[in-house]
Amino acid sequence: MKSLRRDLSANPQAANVTSKVFVRSTKSGKVQKIVRELYLREDIPCSSKLCSQCPTIAPADANGNIAPFILSDRPAGTTAFPRGHYLVPDTNALLNGMDLFEHTGAFYDVIVLQTVLEELRNRSLPLYNRLLALVKSDEKRFYLFFNEFRRETHVRRGPDETINDRNDRAVRMVASWYGSHLQQSAKKGKKEKAIPAIVVVTDDKENLRKCKEENVTALSLSDYVSGLEGSEMLLDMISESKDARDSKETTRGELFYPEYFSMSKLTTGLRAGTLHQGVFNVSPYNYLEASVKTAAFDKPLLILGRDNSNRAIAGDSVVVEVLPQDQWKSPSTKIVDEEAVTRNDNPDTEETEAVVTDRERKALQEEVKKAHGKHAEGRPQPTAKVVGVIKRSWRQYVGHVDTNSTGSQASGRRQQNVFLLPMDKRIPKIRVRTRQASDILGQRILVTIDSWDRDSRYPTGHFIRALGELETKGAETEALLLEYDVQYKPFPKSVLDCLPSEGHDWKVPVSKEDKGWNGRKDLRDLLICSIDPPGCQDIDDALHARVLPNGNYEVGVHIADVSHFVKPNNPMDLEASVRGTTVYLVDKRIDMLPHLLGTDLCSLKPYVERYAFSVLWEMTPDAEIVSSNFTKSVIRSREAFSYEQAQLRIDDKSQQDELTESMRALLKFSKVLRQKRMDAGALNLASPEVRIESEGDEVGDPLTDVKTKAMLDTNSLVEEFMLLANITVGSKIYESFSQTALLRRHATPPPQNFEDLQNQLLKKRNMELDVSSSRALAESLDRCVDPNNPFFNTLVRILATRCMTSAEYFCAGAFTESEFRHYGLASPIYTHFTSPIRRYADLMVHRQLASAIGYEGEDGHAVIEGVTTRNKLEDICRNINVRHRNAQHAGRASIEYYVGQALKARGEKMAADGVDAGIEEEGYVMRVFENGVVIFVPRFGIEGVVRLEDFVLPGESGARSVAERRELAPHRTTEFDSEEYTLRVEEKGHPEKERSVTVELFQKVRVNVSSVKEEGRGAGKRRVRILVTEA
Amino acid sequence: MPLDTSTTYPLTRLRLDGRRWNELRLLQAQISTNPASSGSSYLSMGNTSIMCSVHGPAEGRRGDGGSAGSGHAVVEVDVNVAGFAGVDRKRRAGGSDRQSSRIATTLRSAFQSHLHTYLYPHSTISIHVSVLSADGSLLAAALNACTLALVDAGIPMPGLLCGCTSGMSGSASTPRDPRHDELDPLLDLSLPEEQELPSLTVATTTAVPVGENNMDEDEEAMKVCVLTMESKVHATYLETMLAVGIDGCSQIRELLEGVIKGSRG
Repeated sequence: MKSLRRDLSANPQAANVTSKVFVRSTKSGKVQKIVRELYLREDIPCSSKLCSQCPTIAPADANGNIAPFILSDRPAGTTAFPRGHYLVPDTNALLNGMDLFEHTGAFYDVIVLQTVLEELRNRSLPLYNRLLALVKSDEKRFYLFFNEFRRETHVRRGPDETINDRNDRAVRMVASWYGSHLQQSAKKGKKEKAIPAIVVVTDDKENLRKCKEENVTALSLSDYVSGLEGSEMLLDMISESKDARDSKETTRGELFYPEYFSMSKLTTGLRAGTLHQGVFNVSPYNYLEASVKTAAFDKPLLILGRDNSNRAIAGDSVVVEVLPQDQWKSPSTKIVDEEAVTRNDNPDTEETEAVVTDRERKALQEEVKKAHGKHAEGRPQPTAKVVGVIKRSWRQYVGHVDTNSTGSQASGRRQQNVFLLPMDKRIPKIRVRTRQASDILGQRILVTIDSWDRDSRYPTGHFIRALGELETKGAETEALLLEYDVQYKPFPKSVLDCLPSEGHDWKVPVSKEDKGWNGRKDLRDLLICSIDPPGCQDIDDALHARVLPNGNYEVGVHIADVSHFVKPNNPMDLEASVRGTTVYLVDKRIDMLPHLLGTDLCSLKPYVERYAFSVLWEMTPDAEIVSSNFTKSVIRSREAFSYEQAQLRIDDKSQQDELTESMRALLKFSKVLRQKRMDAGALNLASPEVRIESEGDEVGDPLTDVKTKAMLDTNSLVEEFMLLANITVGSKIYESFSQTALLRRHATPPPQNFEDLQNQLLKKRNMELDVSSSRALAESLDRCVDPNNPFFNTLVRILATRCMTSAEYFCAGAFTESEFRHYGLASPIYTHFTSPIRRYADLMVHRQLASAIGYEGEDGHAVIEGVTTRNKLEDICRNINVRHRNAQHAGRASIEYYVGQALKARGEKMAADGVDAGIEEEGYVMRVFENGVVIFVPRFGIEGVVRLEDFVLPGESGARSVAERRELAPHRTTEFDSEEYTLRVEEKGHPEKERSVTVELFQKVRVNVSSVKEEGRGAGKRRVRILVTEA
Repeated sequence: MPLDTSTTYPLTRLRLDGRRWNELRLLQAQISTNPASSGSSYLSMGNTSIMCSVHGPAEGRRGDGGSAGSGHAVVEVDVNVAGFAGVDRKRRAGGSDRQSSRIATTLRSAFQSHLHTYLYPHSTISIHVSVLSADGSLLAAALNACTLALVDAGIPMPGLLCGCTSGMSGSASTPRDPRHDELDPLLDLSLPEEQELPSLTVATTTAVPVGENNMDEDEEAMKVCVLTMESKVHATYLETMLAVGIDGCSQIRELLEGVIKGSRG
């Protein structure tokens, strides 16, 4: 028998084939040995515009195009490299300095090696994605060089060589090859002067040494950056972790935190059920208290104190271990602010720090004392400690430098440690090393966390950039957008390229033969109108109703046909899917789709023809639906009303034209529909929302712009039909796509969530809250009325809303049909269909519906557009759920900021006349803590913490300034009754009743609202201070 | 985690093993490797290697006569993927799994109609395919190995049956946009590419030179005789993929012809 071994000598091609062998372990712990072939070649271009050889050998793709060369022929020079240079970073340089590489001021002409890219992917997926984005963008001139496949630069791992050494050798190999290659092949004439230097950037000392031996120019990241312009700012952007670890290797100080369990111990524990996994959730009132919701228990586990939190940061996915029963505690009844407790920490002195300072320890002990009450709020709760972190969700944080933490010698350019106080109260202080401390004081700055080691009390991070002065509108708005991860950069060119070339002149084709009319119904003769908030530009929806010959009504909801303009998977679609939703701030709108589409081509503006996606129902005069029908259409809206205008027109008896009549019919139907929904158990929830109507009126009182949302009949008219359309579409797409329909659900909240509220209501008002079903809840909420306190009902509704889970998008295959239910709307199925201009979910639903009704698109052949696989759809759902929530929070924060600024403006105006007296308003007690209360002020839709010093006791002098009032705090004492939810504030040594104030839950109080300059963490935000003046 | 083709290919125009879009892997083959059989071959395409042996045509088994009947030889194919062929060592309980039985079915129907079976009535041609290592394009490699072994066994056929895979360098799930065509077709996929990207297997043969056309020597007269696809791709890409695959088949045909002619000497 012949030998079957590969006989490589015979085949000339075979010389170019080598193989790569590596071992990897799978998730289940198996070890796999993988053998891959490598085909070495000589036609991989160096991509330098200087090179005269490579353009002749550069390969073409299937269409015969040759990729343009990237690296500039005149790369930027520095003092060290006057003739210009190309950078070759190694993996560590990228790990430590990705922010630098993204910086637009430096770091051009970078050669990214395949070896490095692959290693980076193994080390950090987010950094890998950021690097890929850099390679794809044109302006930074990053070239991805597949060195492993170029014959000259391919490196075989030696028998005793570690993988790291091999990779470092590959980097050096490339650098020296590039050097000699450019020498040989540079275009004539330039040869003498302009061969750029090839600079390896590495932080590995061993590698630096070898580079020197092999005559390769190499610099560490910080050395390289020092030679650049503006190096001080750039140096701050190098990740802190590596440096710090190196220096601490020798002088390892005290370890503050217990070590995390090993990965295998975690997985075994999780499997055995002794450990639990969940998301680390920090209480907004007490930074030392967190909760983790786990699959195993109904109620979240409590995590108290820094020791137990063990370096977890809000949002991290952690593994926890339940503590022994004697360590169980009740959740705190105290408001604890980080900066109040740890005000005097010094960022430079590590040695003296204990992980739990005495003051913190005291704060904890006081809570334990209270742990043995009799009812739910007082009963000790199971507590746990963090033993491992599965996934960090560290992001970039906006904050400002703590003035107290900068040394007195803040002059000069010495590098020093400062604390950054993040805007988000749930994030601990971040220690940042900076050389520009004096410059960034008083600025909003952006930082990122690099690491949190056991020997450091606070996480370590590095500076990224300054956004601007605190309290300036630009900086604060950008801070807000960054903090809520809103993509606010202008749309890139690739997205704008997807817009119709006609621009604003785009029109519905006149000829019905045109392919745009394929599969569209002509509904231009229907009397359609839209009703929206005043000044609305992106009109998503329009309505009509008309009597049919058989006495029934035809009712139509017409939605902007965005899916006609946004084709799946083009850059515009991808951008929209990342943005997820349009974000509305008080004075700004961050669009999901480019302006041209959102406010013009898609927007169902009046008097012009527009493409629409219509849902048409036939209804009996009693609003029973006979049939429903979906079609793409062309409509012409007759009028765009605001809610007020529509209401006026309906109420005006003299208007008898057809359009008004149809609106009246719509209104009549909407009332019936609403009643039906309420009968089915839909909840009427309340959220503390106000609306800002800025009329550009500079002179008047800015506070008049702050309006609580009015609810007109026409609001609910539009709402009812949108709900109906969403429900109808939801069941239609579920019919066609039983696995991949994009739906929206609102889970039934577990009854435990309501326990506290039920207790409070029972105790204070003797009212029962029945949470057995949404209907029972709706009815019992209706009964929660206090004749003396008309706002009480709304207050209870607000509190009840907070007990519920939030609604979420999901794809049909992820849940069983019984779990599709939308609790708040009492509908068995629901989706979002009616706002495709501002929500990506609706756009997806449009595509699914189009496919479900067999719409064949412009080209005539049916296309299943959009996502067909569940995995991808679930990714999209996850993203839009997050974006949706962030957009809501950003909107609210924007309003809060505006209210603060309005109060400030008013305050300043008043101050000119004398003293800033604030505004007297009504407030309601929402929560009672041991050392303060939370008060809600409906007029401004704000809630605020009222601390001891902010109670105005009878007979005290009317000191108003923050500093003066802060003096008062130590002289005060409280009596807190956790069972009765009352808090009595009195001056020490003056227990007389007349000189004390007692507040209780749900109580209506007179408060004084003003905007004061906050000193600690919220600085720049201008805390809205609430003084309780009268209980 | 290694890189993946769909992200890096657009940036470098290089596949994960360093090939361009239109390059085959290294193909090596021998025939008459097993003297105990009527015909045998060993073929490797990259790291996929396959051993094939042919027995027969032999007299048909009793009882089989009825079904085979009609004066044609029956082709039997047995595919065995060795336990050590893949990344994970699999212990197979004798029987064949889905993958190998699917390959067997395709091979059987391909060669049943391809071979001149009418020359051997009431007989059986049995083909044994052993996959020694699997690194993508398994069916294509098996087709090629069988062709070589059948040629070695001297069983008449109208032309060499050569198979090849082709795929697209991205998920290709949405209609192709002819204006900016970002995806390239790829030839001869390796296992990681097969797992990541849509792909199809195509096999062609030269048409039977009959009658007057006999003299034409038209090299282009090829017909597709096997076409299978197990992944999803948008229909607009199919033509490109097919064209590249067919081109790959004729490259492979030349290589196989070289092997056959070489072994005579």
